[in-house]
Amino acid sequence: MATNARLPRLAPAPLRGIVRSLLLTLPIAVWSLLMFFHPGSHTDPKSRIAAAMTALFMTALFFMMMRTGKTYRWRRWFFVTLGILFPVGFIYNMVIARGTIGIPIEEMIAGRTPFCFLPIPLLILPAALTKTLVFPGSIMTSSHGIAAMVGLWLAITLVLGKGWCAYACFFGGIEESMAAVPQRAKIRKIDPRWRYGPWAVLLAMVLLSLALFEPAYCMWLCPFKAVSEYVAARNAVGLVQNGIFILLFAGLVIVLPLLTKKRTQCSFFCLFGAFQSIFNKISIFEVKIDQTHCKPCNICQTACPTLSLSKESIAHGETLLTCMKCGACVDACPRQAVVWHIKGTQIAWKPERARLMFLYAAWALAVMFGGSIIAQGLVTILHFVA
Amino acid sequence: MTLRAKLGYTAAGLTVLAALLTPFLLIGSFAKGFAALGLHVDEVYSGGPKVRTIQNGAYSIAIHRPVYPHMLQNEKPFVQLDWSPVSALPPHVSDLVDVDGDGQPDLHVSFDVPSNPKAPLNVNVEPLNSRYEAMQNAGKEKYSRLIVRVDDAILVRVPLQNK
Repeated sequence: MATNARLPRLAPAPLRGIVRSLLLTLPIAVWSLLMFFHPGSHTDPKSRIAAAMTALFMTALFFMMMRTGKTYRWRRWFFVTLGILFPVGFIYNMVIARGTIGIPIEEMIAGRTPFCFLPIPLLILPAALTKTLVFPGSIMTSSHGIAAMVGLWLAITLVLGKGWCAYACFFGGIEESMAAVPQRAKIRKIDPRWRYGPWAVLLAMVLLSLALFEPAYCMWLCPFKAVSEYVAARNAVGLVQNGIFILLFAGLVIVLPLLTKKRTQCSFFCLFGAFQSIFNKISIFEVKIDQTHCKPCNICQTACPTLSLSKESIAHGETLLTCMKCGACVDACPRQAVVWHIKGTQIAWKPERARLMFLYAAWALAVMFGGSIIAQGLVTILHFVA
Repeated sequence: MTLRAKLGYTAAGLTVLAALLTPFLLIGSFAKGFAALGLHVDEVYSGGPKVRTIQNGAYSIAIHRPVYPHMLQNEKPFVQLDWSPVSALPPHVSDLVDVDGDGQPDLHVSFDVPSNPKAPLNVNVEPLNSRYEAMQNAGKEKYSRLIVRVDDAILVRVPLQNK
């Protein structure tokens, strides 16, 4: 690592001019309008209001990213909003559809369990070996079907790699909101071996799902069952399952993020995050450390919400495989040594160009997917307010 | 600019293009491609394909192919029978069912049909063939042993004897 103390401290990124920022935001504004106001998209006034608010919100955040040169700070507004509004819209829809968020066995038999992306890695081995999907849903290409979610996940993953976890995962926003609450972390030293947690959970759950022929993570370990839908407790086993969900949610998504200012569920436990990390290998966008400017202050390491930087990785000028490209380290670096990068290009050569290209791709998908979830949550709130 | 850098920028441009095509082309194409893989939902959930239907006056009984659990799956093998439409069922159903189609009844199935669609169901199954297990006042214990109402049908799953 470069430790040259004579390097001048770099000035913070200057504000971009308003006109230039507006011009750079224009494509996202047009995209937002296209996503939220395409013909036949809304029939009632509440949906139109929610869509307009969401389009404005997403466009304003992108404008601020362009104006200030900061990414994480503004992305976090989107992500926290997504994390808060997802359960609002989802739970409301479930209660309207079936009167409860506890999914009864007859709904599973009918194949009406909404499919989220978390069990995707659990389906692969049983599907490859027996052509069977071990999930009580249906293979529909319409909303909530397994095929629809797999299609969405695959498309976003090809574009963003692990960026899914920072621009699409509606669960991650909940713990990011918790991590944003305290000014300082109460627990600062975290054993780096916790980083292996998600890989261990992934391996164990993939094998267990194959052996038991059920989505074992969904049945036993998913913390987010506490805010989405859970197996209706019809016996003692169901009660134990729901107790585990609530404990894991309280511990990993509420308490630990408050104490550590980290996304602890993502960092220590999330099997999907580990699985998604593999796709960082095929993603063209990444974050690098320009060693000619880096002074080993480790501010970036402290800022990373998912333990995706270590002293060793910084010394190698790169993030760990688990980097979700949230931009926290880039924003935090006082010397602008942490930069957005396109594979194949020279490090720190026009990093703003790399940032822009990445953000156009990431924000377009965030507007499309996360934006629709935010709008749904807003519709629910407007429904209650009205 | 080196060739690697040019390739990098080209790939980045294509990635941005892929992002823009995602809602219009990619999601649908990938979803259709996935659906075309010929995968099916585990029959422990879906109940397996229907093989025969017995007409019994105004209602019918659909008989599914027996389902056998995989590996360590914590279920018994079972056969699913569907009574439908619910509106045509009498207040108390008591049917002899020929499951295997050999002309001899295999099961005597009886259950009440409450007018409230959300009311709990209970079923009694008396096996007339040693292949099937008896069920006394069964509700929704397991996937392989239950009675539930799904849309306009009442589904009964009868466990098979382990052999």
